[in-house]
Amino acid sequence: MKLENIQPQQVYRRNKGLLNALHIDGWLLLGLLLLLATSIAIVYSASGGDEAVTTRHVIRIGIALVLMILFAQIPPNIIYLFTPWLFAAGILMLIAVILFGDVGKGAQRWLDLGVVKFQPSELMKLVLPITVAWLFAHSQFPPSFKRLFSGALIIALTASLIVVQPDLGTSLLIAMSGLFVLFFAGLPWKVILAAITATVASAPIAWHFMHAYQKQRVLTFLNPETDPLGSGYHIIQSKIAIGSGGIEGKGFLGSTQAHLDFLPESTTDFIFSVLSEEFGLLGVITLLTLYSAVIARGLYIASQAQDNFTRLIAASLSMTLFVYIFVNIGMVSGLLPVVGLPLPLISYGGSSMITLMISFGILMSIHTHKRLLTD
Amino acid sequence: MSEQLKFNSDAEAFQQKRLFRFRLYFAYGFVLLLFAFLIGRMAHLQWYNFEQYHGLAEGNRISVETLPPTRGKIYDRNHILLADNQPVYALSMIREKMEDIHAFELELMNLLEGSDPEKIEAYFKKFRKWNRSKSYTLPFSVSEEQAARFSVISYKFPGVTLTARLKRVYPHKSTAVHALGYVGRINTKELKKLNEQEYLGTNIIGKAGIERFYEDRLHGSPGVQQIETNARGRILRKLETLPATPGEDIHLTLDIELQKYAESLFKDKVGAMIALDPQNGEVLAFASMPTFNPNLFVDGIDQKNYSRLLNDPYRPFINRAINGQYPPGSTIKPFVALGAIENDYISPTKKIYDPGYFDFAGHRYRDWKRTGHGLVDLNAAIAQSCDTYFYELSLAMGVDAIHDTMSPFGFGEKTNIDIIGESKGILPSQQWKMETKGKPWYRGETIISSIGQGYNLTTPLQLAKATAILANRGKIIQPHLLKDELKDSSSSQVAIKKISNWDSVIQGMVDVMHGKKGTARRHGKDLPFKVAGKTGTAQVFSLNQGKYNADELAKRLHDHSLFIGFAPVDNPKIAVAVIVENGGSGSKTAAPMAVNLMKHYLEEKLTDTTTQLESKP
Repeated sequence: MKLENIQPQQVYRRNKGLLNALHIDGWLLLGLLLLLATSIAIVYSASGGDEAVTTRHVIRIGIALVLMILFAQIPPNIIYLFTPWLFAAGILMLIAVILFGDVGKGAQRWLDLGVVKFQPSELMKLVLPITVAWLFAHSQFPPSFKRLFSGALIIALTASLIVVQPDLGTSLLIAMSGLFVLFFAGLPWKVILAAITATVASAPIAWHFMHAYQKQRVLTFLNPETDPLGSGYHIIQSKIAIGSGGIEGKGFLGSTQAHLDFLPESTTDFIFSVLSEEFGLLGVITLLTLYSAVIARGLYIASQAQDNFTRLIAASLSMTLFVYIFVNIGMVSGLLPVVGLPLPLISYGGSSMITLMISFGILMSIHTHKRLLTD
Repeated sequence: MSEQLKFNSDAEAFQQKRLFRFRLYFAYGFVLLLFAFLIGRMAHLQWYNFEQYHGLAEGNRISVETLPPTRGKIYDRNHILLADNQPVYALSMIREKMEDIHAFELELMNLLEGSDPEKIEAYFKKFRKWNRSKSYTLPFSVSEEQAARFSVISYKFPGVTLTARLKRVYPHKSTAVHALGYVGRINTKELKKLNEQEYLGTNIIGKAGIERFYEDRLHGSPGVQQIETNARGRILRKLETLPATPGEDIHLTLDIELQKYAESLFKDKVGAMIALDPQNGEVLAFASMPTFNPNLFVDGIDQKNYSRLLNDPYRPFINRAINGQYPPGSTIKPFVALGAIENDYISPTKKIYDPGYFDFAGHRYRDWKRTGHGLVDLNAAIAQSCDTYFYELSLAMGVDAIHDTMSPFGFGEKTNIDIIGESKGILPSQQWKMETKGKPWYRGETIISSIGQGYNLTTPLQLAKATAILANRGKIIQPHLLKDELKDSSSSQVAIKKISNWDSVIQGMVDVMHGKKGTARRHGKDLPFKVAGKTGTAQVFSLNQGKYNADELAKRLHDHSLFIGFAPVDNPKIAVAVIVENGGSGSKTAAPMAVNLMKHYLEEKLTDTTTQLESKP
């Protein structure tokens, strides 16, 4: 028993199939394709049968799949080599956004590179967890306090550069992806408990520093009915959409809430409400089962990874996916404040879909680039 | 020993992996727990509270509709309407609610006999693919009569609604288009900048001129209306309404009647003409020719009209009054002369002999009059526009002294009129040349600068402003188009040492019009009031100081014709600057236009207040 575990990885079956040649993990791909197919159907319905919108969505999914396959070809050790440079570039771009960023809707998030507009915080969603994993690549378990501290410092730096854009939601989510790495690297439980206590205690101070619209979101979240035609409107209408779906739902294309324009952002942030309205509780359970299968596969890949660097990345990226799902569904069902976050793999919209699919490409790369013999 | 170590590290790796796996299980347990929690929440909403939400969705009847504000109207100084809003009709369709799309398509071809059936067919082809639950407005104009005919049969076509909205209309069409500007569809660039809340339900925005500059005042803010609909979206009744705040109506300083007259003076010529009230800087006329019809832009200009205007060789889109930068030619002579006598470079009575040319550094600079003006003093130099006098004077002054004299009159800087995108022109100096060209100033350049050639460039508005300041004997005014609560009266003054210097220069300009040898004496005689003016002829094309034969040159290379002036001299009521591109000499083309405009404007005033304006002999 002991010996078997001490032995380095079991030697893997190397299928000669196409999937292996392309460094693709079949199970993960299956889960993703099921989710993406669902996405196309729901976007079609939520847009009111708009073929132009649906076509654009399908094209983006195609591009995202190609990018996923491309990233699956990059061996993790190459990523390892480039990590410090990627991080430095990411930080510089975040600073550039603050200095010369394009202001859109009251926040500077975009960097205009002449040809394309680019959101560096989107890049950091991947680069930050990878950088923190890089830091722990060769450390012992549990890691030294010094190393944990420098990891925390990197996370704080990145998060603070995004929070001033100002983009509190994204900043918290990116910080979360780094904190997951610390957790999997062996952050002591005592520290975790202390941090949670401190966060809860400091909430009133955070409130003081929030922008007016952020405060409004929190207030509305706490009591949406006070402002039924203002910002509480979204949450109320979303809850009506979900609740009126019942157990079996109103059927595909049957969402009255979205089609009568009661539901805002029905193809993006609030797409889950459309799905719940049309497919009911059964549809929701199916979707969450699919998601948990994809997350399970990601965590399995982490458990099978050969070194600290890759296992930390795989675990963190999988858990980040979970956080995004939880926050979005929590938001549209009135459990969490409205933060403006799409539902991963389902919502219409470009950049977040691309980032997610790249992260799956990295997971696949980790799983398929293994040394057959370890030292 | 080494085996021992390896074993240790393997044991450690094992330990490490065990802990890592424990944390993985923990994390996944956390994921499942929270997913279960979410499912619990969903069950609460969709199962436990289903009846309640089902009822709410069925009765979901209150929706919020935006009421766009009415855009403020624009009037001229005499309360004549320049920009109005008129109701227009439009048809909109929601695919989901329509029973027979094809039948409506056929009906529409019949109803809108003015529109091309092929366009209607093409639109419907696209429409069938668009969002089935959204309302789309047909891009075809519906006349009042067609609207009435449709409303009779509208019951046959559920899902089609007839709406009336207000459309911006410019009743005077192309008149004053460069001052007034126009509105058009909001483009993506503008969309990013504006406050979306304020523009809900609005699809137009000021694109140019006054419409753009005073967008904030003209736009107003939208209102909100709650409407009650049935589950299929049909409006049952209107509930609470928060009405829109209409945009502010504004009055301009323009006199549209004078403006029309000014534009008519150009006939088919190209150029610009500005008339200011020198006492307060109000712009009375603001012509840039040729013009275009702003009504074309309101609903989005069609490609054919747009490319026709864009490719017009005379470039009607250019606002020549503020963006046309022309060499001022001899119109700058009064300003140079003022600087010369102010700083004692010359006495007004000192005479200079003009043989018809001026030699400097081996180069011969010719006077416009080849035979020369003989002995001229300051008055004659201005009245007869003697070049040689200024050539010689300029060498004594140097370019920087000329610059410093003209700068307070606003040359080389924006006038800050209430239109966006004004050009600055160029008022050269040694420093300017070093900064922009990286080369030192040559004295020969001073010579041609003194007659408004070389690097000098001015906009017609700058010339008008400088003329008004001259008319005011130094009181600086701010040209503006909005007739409003009085601008700050803390007027600054062009500093001058000897008040009589104003008289010397202005008398020179009076003699341009009324003197025996004045360059525009032909146009100054028999006027019921006295005019001070100055003609200018600006070279477009360097002729190497050779012989100029207008007939031999293509029209595009003809000289620009300029004139500045104000009247009545003793109590100035109007200051005018005219530039006619390729119009030839200033006295031939621009001067009579300016004089006619003054006459037209002052005739009303003369009949009003005869005694006040009786001119001295």
